[in-house]
Amino acid sequence: MSLFDKFEKTATLYNQLSDAGQNPFTVQMDQMLGPTRAMVNGQEIVLAGTNNYLGLTFRSETVEAAKTAIAEQGTGTTGSRFANGTYAGHRQLERELADFLGLAYCVVFSTGYQANLGAISALAAPGKDVILIDADCHACIYDGCQLSGAETVRFRHNSPDDLDKRLSRLAGDGKGKLVCIEGMYSMFGDVAPVGEFVEVAHRHGAYIFVDEAHSFGCFGDNGRGVAERDEVMKDVDFYSGTFSKSLVSIGGFVASNHKELDYLRFSARPYMFTASPSPANVAAATAALKVIRRESGLQKRLWANAKRVHAAFTQLGLETCAPVSPVIAVKLPNKETAFAAWNFLIQNGVYVNLAIPPGTPNATSILRLSVSAAHTDEDLDIVISAYTAMAQAFAGAPEAAE
Amino acid sequence: MPEIQEDDDLVFHKICTLLDPLNHKGVKLTRDTDLIADLEVDSVSVLDIVMDIEDNYDISIPVNTISEIRTIGELVDAIHAIKKQQA
Repeated sequence: MSLFDKFEKTATLYNQLSDAGQNPFTVQMDQMLGPTRAMVNGQEIVLAGTNNYLGLTFRSETVEAAKTAIAEQGTGTTGSRFANGTYAGHRQLERELADFLGLAYCVVFSTGYQANLGAISALAAPGKDVILIDADCHACIYDGCQLSGAETVRFRHNSPDDLDKRLSRLAGDGKGKLVCIEGMYSMFGDVAPVGEFVEVAHRHGAYIFVDEAHSFGCFGDNGRGVAERDEVMKDVDFYSGTFSKSLVSIGGFVASNHKELDYLRFSARPYMFTASPSPANVAAATAALKVIRRESGLQKRLWANAKRVHAAFTQLGLETCAPVSPVIAVKLPNKETAFAAWNFLIQNGVYVNLAIPPGTPNATSILRLSVSAAHTDEDLDIVISAYTAMAQAFAGAPEAAE
Repeated sequence: MPEIQEDDDLVFHKICTLLDPLNHKGVKLTRDTDLIADLEVDSVSVLDIVMDIEDNYDISIPVNTISEIRTIGELVDAIHAIKKQQA
């Protein structure tokens, strides 16, 4: 029995992609030309699948802050938050994030993945607690549940009624309950009714954990996320986010009004046993947060761009997966067509994300586009014209049985 | 609230009914059918079926239980155990 047997099926699928064209999962950005442009295989590409929602990756404030941090604090911390890896900058960023969110406490992790992994695995314990997760939650939430060892129950995507039913089934079991949802879901760009979820969770005495990785900076009057839009910021028990999207760095955080959040610092293994984010990463995120607080125009530009693209796709007769949001996913009949369409788009100068089962809900195959505030009108002209040609080229694509 | 006295056979048949739309290759379903190897059902689809089963029997089946289940028979047995426990 070979260790590698289990990879065979997925490897076949992966290799088929390379044989049939350019493999979307091995794309290399040879040179970055700016927040929305890169050179790929000698061709200039418009980047429309990046999560760079506010487009601040090349802003002078973030770049200069990172440079200064390297000069003053070095390239890496060479240690975990729990040991020698907590610098003044980490604590300052925690205070500034908490202040921005209007929450009392914040803990910074090395990645967004580790923030969710660390918080969820530490908060729920096997035999004592039950975690209830939205069926479409990100892999890091699933992994957090698994690492916790606590019983995990899925509820139907974006359905507070279904959560209500599942919490009712568990009533009286004497266990702590943690409900996990996301603000905006990364694949389809659909948005959770966070306010309704908060109400249902609290009615059952459950705590609610909201991952606003994709919605931070994009939703709410001040960019605090979907919880702000729904006016429930203060009611969210645990708010998690990432630096790798609107905060254009790498790292993650969890914020809360519960003073016990600090317990994560000695109980969350993904906080304790990995190196802390580098000074440059911390400085870039801190600088990006300042820009976000100052410039409400970024969010306006993001939404104007999203509306333009969504309207254009709708007019082309493409099937979008959700109402207007910074993520605009187009559904294709099957993975072969989606793959061919993805290749067509990159040949026409546009990079988006291909997502196929089992990485997508309901076994759908999609082209996922993420809009940026940094997309110029010309960038979006190129995107829309490539999709127009793609829609024509694939209009007659057979609906192969999946 | 469903009847608790449903026998093994009925749970088995209920699961077969739920799996039917995913049985693209027309595999004959038995207790020994391996969900992933024989039916080529992906792990997410298995979890989706579990939500239907939870609703059908008004029980909670933790994801943790499912990760160890390979065959239809094991799933049937797990449901019986949970029904008994949560009755």
